[in-house]
Amino acid sequence: MNSPRIDGPLSEALVGTRRYFTRGEVSDDQRTMHLEGGRQGDSFYRDRWSHDKVVRSTHGVNCTGSCSWKVYVKDGIITWEAQQTDYPSAGADRPEYEPRGCPRGAAFSWYTYSPTRVRYPYVRGVLLEMFREAKAAVGGDPVVAWASIVQDPEKAHRYKSARGKGGLVRSTWDEVVELVAAAHVYTVKRWGPDRIAGFSPIPAMSPVSYASGARFLELIGAPMLSFYDWYADLPNASPQMFGDQTDVPESGDWWDAGYLMMWGSNVPLTRTPDAHWMTEARYRGQKVVAVAPDYAENVKFADEWVTCNPGADGALALAMGHVILKEYFVDRQVQFFVDYNRRYTDLPFLVTLDEVSEGSEDGTDGTTAYRPGKNLVAADFDNRQRESENAVFKPVVFDGATGRPAVPNGSIGFRYGDEGWGKWNLDLEGIEPVLTMYAGGTSTSDPASGVAEVVLPRFDTADGHVTYVRRGVPTRRVGGRLVTTVLDLMLAQYGVSRPGLPGEWPADYDDASTPATPAWQEPITGVPAQQVTRLAREWAQNAIDTTGRGMILMGAGTNHWFHSDQIYRAMLVLTTITGCQGRNGGGWAHYVGQEKIRPIMGFQHMAFALDWHRPPRHMNQTAYWYVNTSQYRYDTFTADDLDAGTGVFADKGVMDLLAQSVRLGWTPSYPTFTRSSLVLADEARAAGQEPIPYVVDQLKSGELKFAVEDPEAEENHPRILSLWRANLLGSSAKGNEYFLKHLLGADNAVSAAEAPPEKRPAGIVWPEHAPEGKLDLLTTLDFRMTSSTLFSDVVLPAATWYEKHDLNTTDMHPFVHAFSPAIAPPWQSKTDWDTWKAVAKKFSELAVDHLGTRTDVVAKPLWHDTPEAMATPHGIVKDWRTGEVEPVPGRTLPVLALAERDYPAVYDKMTSIGPLLEKVGMLTKGVPYDVTREVDILRGRNGVRNGGAGDGQPRLETDIHMADAILHLSGTANGHLATHGFRNVEKRTGTQLHDLAAEHEGKQITFADTQVQPVPVITSPEWSGSESGGRRYSPFTINVERLKPFHTLTGRQQFYLDHDWILGMGEALPVYRPPLNMTTLFGESEIGVQNELGVSVRYLTPHNKWSIHSEYQDNLFMLSLSRGGQTIWMSDRDAAKVGIKDNDWVEAVNRNGVVAARAIVSHRMPEGTIFMHHAQDRLIDVPLTETNQRRGGIHNSLTRILIKPSHIIGGYAQLAYFFNYIGPTGNNRDEVTMIRRRTDQNVTY
Amino acid sequence: MNTVLWVIYPYICLAIFVVGHFWRYKYDKFGWTTRSSQLYEDKLLRIGSPLFHFGMLGVIAGHVMGLLIPQSWTSAIGISPHTYHYIALIGGIPAGLATVAGLIILVYRRRRTGPVFSATTVNDKVMYLVLGIVILLGIWNTIAGSLLQFGGEYNYRDGVSPWFRSIFYFQPDAALMAGAPIGFQLHAFFAFLLFAMWPFTRLVHVFSAPIGYFTRPYIVYRSSDVRPGVGVGTHAPARGWDRPELQKKE
Repeated sequence: MNSPRIDGPLSEALVGTRRYFTRGEVSDDQRTMHLEGGRQGDSFYRDRWSHDKVVRSTHGVNCTGSCSWKVYVKDGIITWEAQQTDYPSAGADRPEYEPRGCPRGAAFSWYTYSPTRVRYPYVRGVLLEMFREAKAAVGGDPVVAWASIVQDPEKAHRYKSARGKGGLVRSTWDEVVELVAAAHVYTVKRWGPDRIAGFSPIPAMSPVSYASGARFLELIGAPMLSFYDWYADLPNASPQMFGDQTDVPESGDWWDAGYLMMWGSNVPLTRTPDAHWMTEARYRGQKVVAVAPDYAENVKFADEWVTCNPGADGALALAMGHVILKEYFVDRQVQFFVDYNRRYTDLPFLVTLDEVSEGSEDGTDGTTAYRPGKNLVAADFDNRQRESENAVFKPVVFDGATGRPAVPNGSIGFRYGDEGWGKWNLDLEGIEPVLTMYAGGTSTSDPASGVAEVVLPRFDTADGHVTYVRRGVPTRRVGGRLVTTVLDLMLAQYGVSRPGLPGEWPADYDDASTPATPAWQEPITGVPAQQVTRLAREWAQNAIDTTGRGMILMGAGTNHWFHSDQIYRAMLVLTTITGCQGRNGGGWAHYVGQEKIRPIMGFQHMAFALDWHRPPRHMNQTAYWYVNTSQYRYDTFTADDLDAGTGVFADKGVMDLLAQSVRLGWTPSYPTFTRSSLVLADEARAAGQEPIPYVVDQLKSGELKFAVEDPEAEENHPRILSLWRANLLGSSAKGNEYFLKHLLGADNAVSAAEAPPEKRPAGIVWPEHAPEGKLDLLTTLDFRMTSSTLFSDVVLPAATWYEKHDLNTTDMHPFVHAFSPAIAPPWQSKTDWDTWKAVAKKFSELAVDHLGTRTDVVAKPLWHDTPEAMATPHGIVKDWRTGEVEPVPGRTLPVLALAERDYPAVYDKMTSIGPLLEKVGMLTKGVPYDVTREVDILRGRNGVRNGGAGDGQPRLETDIHMADAILHLSGTANGHLATHGFRNVEKRTGTQLHDLAAEHEGKQITFADTQVQPVPVITSPEWSGSESGGRRYSPFTINVERLKPFHTLTGRQQFYLDHDWILGMGEALPVYRPPLNMTTLFGESEIGVQNELGVSVRYLTPHNKWSIHSEYQDNLFMLSLSRGGQTIWMSDRDAAKVGIKDNDWVEAVNRNGVVAARAIVSHRMPEGTIFMHHAQDRLIDVPLTETNQRRGGIHNSLTRILIKPSHIIGGYAQLAYFFNYIGPTGNNRDEVTMIRRRTDQNVTY
Repeated sequence: MNTVLWVIYPYICLAIFVVGHFWRYKYDKFGWTTRSSQLYEDKLLRIGSPLFHFGMLGVIAGHVMGLLIPQSWTSAIGISPHTYHYIALIGGIPAGLATVAGLIILVYRRRRTGPVFSATTVNDKVMYLVLGIVILLGIWNTIAGSLLQFGGEYNYRDGVSPWFRSIFYFQPDAALMAGAPIGFQLHAFFAFLLFAMWPFTRLVHVFSAPIGYFTRPYIVYRSSDVRPGVGVGTHAPARGWDRPELQKKE
């Protein structure tokens, strides 16, 4: 044989015989054999990838990826999904959006046919039986039947105490809709509409579904509960500093940064499809720094790892600020920084100094000392603007050009009123603001200058209590007041000394005795001082070299703390004083909770039914549950434990402050009054009075109170809660066990003690026992069984994200794309839109007999971006309750408004676009829009309603109608509207803006467009950044480039906050506040303590790698990839202390509840801290606990709600309420727990 | 009773064996597998599996020799019963011991290796039990019966073998088996039980042992063919559709 041998002689001999056994042809070299046919088996693999259709959809509630997916359907079955690749280009010379997607999203189709899919409507059997019996007994009226159950204490107890114990039975849609509608009708009638509430989070990723229930509830007068503050994702530092809820760069803009810090944000894990930008940018020379206490995923991508102790990030940021301020603002001046801060920040603004009173506890030693006080405003001294409109809202700078104080344009005083037209801008008009009053120290040739010692608080003590440091600032007298600049105060706060200034200053960077040097932070953060100094220099030098292209990705690691506003403000000082805000590739990039629905205007008006009634009822959810799950009763401390020893909160509980905030109209509160808002109108008419004056009189006389002042009385309970797209009891319910106890009346693991009499809020009615089982009806719409459905009275089968029409946007991607149904909702499931329509229809029918048309007195807090934000001059708190002022709605009281609720017409109103849009237009973030053109287009596109309340109006019957309404009524999707809006802003600012949208003036994105391909959005006044010309989105670029003011008091990015409460808390400027000390507040063991209960550790609940955003913990694929079941991560050192081995069953117990899980012992974890990943439901492998022999809890069983008083300030410039804009956060990071190994490792279920 | 045990019962078992395989092949083609656990554990498998399987080949060869070849044939070529026995033991004992040793290793591995045990079904467990019984009874018969001659001398070539062959002549003679020692009877009984279970267990892999690989060239090309009712391609068009026929040019 001439061909080369390929095998040994034996093989060759064997193969050589093949020719005698086959009809096929064996080649001469014996390598191949040719056969004909026999390929029937091919159909196996060919069919494997065959499919009938591919549908574009994505992942619904919470995913930040905005990845578009191809969903494959075969024989009517959803079989798999794959990534779409047709995103708009990110631009030349930069990486593209794709590849996008993650294993979690790719696992979603499991849910369609999963064993936990909710296929039919369910009701708890005991309730359903009673309802059927009652209905038969009362002759068939379901409303009367419902009343007979909930009014009977024995019956009510019977079904409420069965919550969480199974017993859900299948019902029919007709029956269950009737039950739910009847309960709503009854509650509106008996208690008032604001005793009903709905919760659905984060509309950005499925606004139509969100809008379904929201629109129904707002039409009947029920509040929607917020999510952003409740999730603790809202960084209050953003409204405080920027006057903006949150606006951040899209992920594509990370590429533009020269220096990137990931500080508490673990983007490869939580922002998986976007993380590629971060890795790619490194090849462009970007430096990437990760700040994380643990060896997190992002750390391995970083060039440098900064291991900062949990919760100590504020100290790290302050020390970096110390170095930057010293080296780039004092030792030398950088023109770039000086120019930026003069125009865009409040550093040059003048602040008055108040003399500290005699005998003050902060230790005046005979010399006069001062506290930082209020911003100096035009009304305070003699100047041309003194008598001008809103003069008390026009802060002042010192003009270096004239040597006199000057009132620059752009402050809130110019934003409203007739005199401000064309003047609300950042045009300095020749003013040269001086950044400092410093002229070399005490000896100065200028007789107006001087030096004053200010008392500054510091909280860097073991238990976080306040002490003080006194430092000198250069001053000047203006109109008899002693003033200095914000920069001078900031230098004092940061401990940056200048020659000639008295007080206690650090000697150098190595002086650890006093804030805020690198050496000072080292024992707090664990980060070496030299590293901090180097990072600060790198940060500042990069800003100089790149003109502000330094970016900090910040996230839940730094944001979920009680004092995270202080942590964030300290971090934002870094991005702002170095001129990085309002730049591509620069500034803050807060990626926690994706609040940003790009077509926000159309969404808000449609979802909250602002086309029919204004104002809506919007409630901040943290306060709602703080009150209604009675968690305030477990506050074993008073509010003055939280202030700076100033006495601002003397003798008050946090609950007292909340009640005050409510009655001054700062923050919303529903249920609002101790009587039904419908009854109040009836009473007024019976008394021959108009309702609003009647309510004011009643409040003034004390006959009417706010419900928050007597929250345990039965007339003030929330009665109905509906959840959709939400898993309150498996995910977000901080203080989960308190929910189970007081709200639901179910078994719970609360062991906390209520406040002793001396710690109770004085102004709140305090019955000896708080009721259990306040809520009459909990309804959940979901496609899977969750902890929430387990406790719900009614469970409705919902369509998944592959079974409905909707829209998807996020803050990280400047495009919008569609959900489309790959299959019709299977079994008896329905889309959220159809479910709520069915409820609305039944509600309207039942309302004919029971409700009719009623007048509703709506109380609404003072809103941001309206003149109501000027209700509190100087931020001085005056309470009508104590007679300091008169109660005036919209100034010292909430805004009171009347709504005519035509209850039988609710369904008609829900399914047609109301007349208010054409009559009064739309208003978003203070910008008015005329939308008659758009409503007319919608008549053509959606069709016109015939008859009923919506006669002649555009139809809104289907989810597609809703999607198109949102897109047509938003500037981001409607170029005409965006341009129109910018022209309206121009009138106020006097600067040119409309060209930003002009390139797209004729463009209208329709829902059909979004189904074809992700469509880039249009630059709109709804947001602060520009995408014009295909530019990557970065926030505040319009402010910086077009001189449009920020929505703050000064119109600048504001470091200094002068509200009474904030001054009283010592937080006028960023200050380090350590995590709350749970030992002094609640008597928990200090971290590190070991005893028979285990070891005490910090308890953190970060995101789970295997179950976030696009799917959940129960997904079988993800359970298989991970450890499966509930787990707690802990360090090997902590584990060794109490004998815990990897995979052992452990129990974590604190006063709030109990968790039983398996331990994952890992070197990755820092000592003293454990992680229990977020949203570990109680459904998967959760055994009975050793502590109480009941089923273990969820991650939030160990947390509870703690309200920070500064978050409930309102009615003052940027510190004014709007839904999800500002509010108390559901923070959860300060908690501690004991953790131990279970003595019996054989757990039972 | 003897008729039931040694006539009816074997035919039922063999019928299940034959029909069962057809059924399994038709309806569970993708389940026709050993469900290999090599992925989970391979160190013990590497020893146990060849021991067992090659031992098994020897055992089968021994059975072919002992059961199918009549005594008269071996006598005709001058092999005395004594010599035959000698040959049978020389070959049978090592094969049997290898099989048992392999089986012990495999069962130990299956029980003690977590993932392997997790992948073991009830079906497997029952099958291993019966297989184990059959093998142990066979060894017992060989060692206790033939070698040590417990309970007297018994020449299975006079009883069991003709009976076994008689089944296939369709002239079953139960009496031949009725006189066999209990050990042989049990061995035969469980062996037929195993045959009956065979098509429903992983034992089907016996019929898909890749012996073709010995003589197969490395690369096999298969061209499409034209099949009646299907045409060119791998499966027939769905009802309601006519696939355009590609006519072969003559």
